[in-house]
Amino acid sequence: MTLSGPLIERLLSGAFICQVTDEDGFRHLQDEATREAIDAYLKPLNRRVASNADQTLFFVAYVHLDQSAREQLSQQLGITLSSLLPLLEWVQLVQEALGRDTLLTAGDVLKPAEFVLKSEDNQSLRERVQLLASDRFFNSQSDALDSQIKQIFRRLKEQGYLLQPHADKQVYLVTSKIDYLIDLIRFIRDEENLPLEDDEPQQEGLL
Amino acid sequence: MTDSRLTSGLLKTGTERLALLGKHAAVLMQAYLTDEIDESAISEQAIKKLVAARILWRPDEQQGLKLRHAVRDLIAEMLVDESRRQVNADVAETLQQLDNQVMAFREAQNRGDYLLAEQFQLRLTQTLDDFNSRLSGHIHSLWHRLNTDFGFVSSLNDKIRENERAQQQISRLLDGLDLIDFDRLIELTQTSGPLRKLLVSQLQKQVSAHYGSLREVQARMLQLMARFRRQQASSLLVHRMSRFLRQHPGFQPGNYALRTQVPVLFNQAEPLKIHAFAALDRSGDADILAQLVQQLPRRQGQALALTAASPVHWPQDEQVAARQQALKQAVEDYYLAVIDGQAPASALAYLEQKQLDWPPEIWLFQVIAEHQGLPLQQKRLLALVCEEAPASQWNEVRIIADVHLTLRPAKDWVHAG
Repeated sequence: MTLSGPLIERLLSGAFICQVTDEDGFRHLQDEATREAIDAYLKPLNRRVASNADQTLFFVAYVHLDQSAREQLSQQLGITLSSLLPLLEWVQLVQEALGRDTLLTAGDVLKPAEFVLKSEDNQSLRERVQLLASDRFFNSQSDALDSQIKQIFRRLKEQGYLLQPHADKQVYLVTSKIDYLIDLIRFIRDEENLPLEDDEPQQEGLL
Repeated sequence: MTDSRLTSGLLKTGTERLALLGKHAAVLMQAYLTDEIDESAISEQAIKKLVAARILWRPDEQQGLKLRHAVRDLIAEMLVDESRRQVNADVAETLQQLDNQVMAFREAQNRGDYLLAEQFQLRLTQTLDDFNSRLSGHIHSLWHRLNTDFGFVSSLNDKIRENERAQQQISRLLDGLDLIDFDRLIELTQTSGPLRKLLVSQLQKQVSAHYGSLREVQARMLQLMARFRRQQASSLLVHRMSRFLRQHPGFQPGNYALRTQVPVLFNQAEPLKIHAFAALDRSGDADILAQLVQQLPRRQGQALALTAASPVHWPQDEQVAARQQALKQAVEDYYLAVIDGQAPASALAYLEQKQLDWPPEIWLFQVIAEHQGLPLQQKRLLALVCEEAPASQWNEVRIIADVHLTLRPAKDWVHAG
C-alpha cells in the first residue's frame, strides 16, 4: 500500500484513471488497501474513490450527497446527456471509417490523418463528419475536413476519451472512458426501459 | 523377400508422386485457393498422372478437377491456414487400428516369426506417433486460433462462428480421448513389456498432457467467446441507443442525481484544484526561495531604447476630429469676441446670437475646458463664472445652466499679475 501524492492530485482534479491514462496509478488503485487509504485521506473533502463495475477505470465521487453535491451532479448529468448522441455518433463513425465491426476499446490507436484520408473519398462519411463536427459538443466553425476532424479529436481529448501521448504527434489512444460511456447508456437503457431490443422500433406500442 | 520388393515398390511410387506435388506446385496451389484446377495450365499427361496419384479428382462429369481433401489438408497444415485446418480426431478408428496391429503382432510372435512381429511393432509405434502428432497438431491449431483472436476472419460474426466451431472440435477431441480405455489396453498387451510401455505408460502420459491442454484451451475459448459476445452486445447497444436518441430528440431520463441512492456512474465529484504559493513565514524556506528567484532565467537581450517606441496613436475618425476642431475654433472665436468686448457675457447668449448649431451642453463643456486649458496668467485675466443651481435638495450635485465669461477690468490686472 502506497499513498501517492500525484495520484491523489490527479484524481481530485477530476481525471479518470485507467490502464491507458496512468498505468502506475491504475495498478495502485486496483489494490483495495490503497483505495481504502486514499478514501481515508479524501474523507474530509467529502470525496472517495469510485470505479465502474468492471473496475477498468477509477474516479472520485462524493461520500455524502448534500444539497450542493446533488446540484452539481444534476448539472453534470445534463451536460453528459446532451453529449451522448454526438459521442455515440462518433464511435459509430470511427467503426465505419476504419471498416471494423467491433467497438473502440481502450488502448486502440487512432490517427486523425487516417480518418481524413478515409473520409475524403467517401461523400457520405464526409457529410457525417461535417454534421458531427458542427454539433454543439464539438463546435467546429470550419468548413475544412482536416480542421473539423482535428477539432473532434481535440474535444475528445479534453473530455478524456482520447489520450495524446506525444503533444507533437497526431496519434491518439482510446482510454477506458469509452467503457464508462457504454456503461452509461446501458444503465439508461435498463433504468428507462428503453425499447432497444428490436431492430425496428415498435410502432404498435405507441398507437 | 516379397516384403522388401513391396517396400522398394512403395518407395519408388511414393517418391515419384511426391515429386509430382513439387513439379506442379503452382497449379496445385492455385487450385487450393480457387477450388478448381485450371486445366489449360497443364498438359493432359500431367493431369492423368495427378489423378492417378490421387492428388486430383473429378467429383462428377460437370465439375472441374479438384484437390483431394488429403492434399488440401496437407497444404492447410503446412501453411497454418486456420480457415482450412480440420480437426478430425477419429480416435475410434485409431483404436481399431491399434487393436488389429496388436493382434497381428501377437499372432506373429506366437508363430515365432519374430521378423514379422518386429515389423508389426514398428507399425504400431508409427500409428501411435501419428495419433499423437495429429492430436498435437489439432491442439496447436486451437491455441493458435485462440492467441490470434481468430485473426484469419475479419468480422465479429465470423469470429463468433469460428469460435463455436473450435469449441465443437474441442468437445469432439475430448470425447475421442474418453474412448481410450486403458484397462482394455492393459488387457490387450498381456505380458509383453515393450507393448505395455508403448500402449500404456507412454500413451497415458501423452493423452493426459493433451487432455490438460484441451481443457485449458476450452476454458480460454469460452472466455474469448464471452468477450466476443460482449463486444457484439456493446456494438448493438451503441447502434440502437444512438438511433433511439435521434428518433426522440426530446428524450429526458430521470434525474439520477436526486435519488436517495445515486448510481455510482453519476456520482462524479466536482474537480478540486490544488494550489500552493511561495510563503515566507518559515525562515528555513527563505534561502530556498531566494535560490529559486536567482535561478529564474534572466531577461535576455538589451532593454529597448525608449525612443524606439513611438507614442501610442489612436486612430481617430477624421470626421470626429474635424468637428472637434470646429468646436474648438468656435469657442476660441467666442473668447476673442469677449476680449474685444463685442460679445455678451453669457456663453449661451453668444451661441444663440451667432446661431451656431452646437448642442448647448457640449458648447458649455468646451467653453469651460478652454478656460481650464489657458495658461495661468491668461486665466486670471478672464473671469469665468458658472451660473449653477443644486440639482435637488437631497444631494450636492449642482447643475450648470450657463457660464459668463468676462475680461477683468484693467485695474485688477496688476493684482492678478
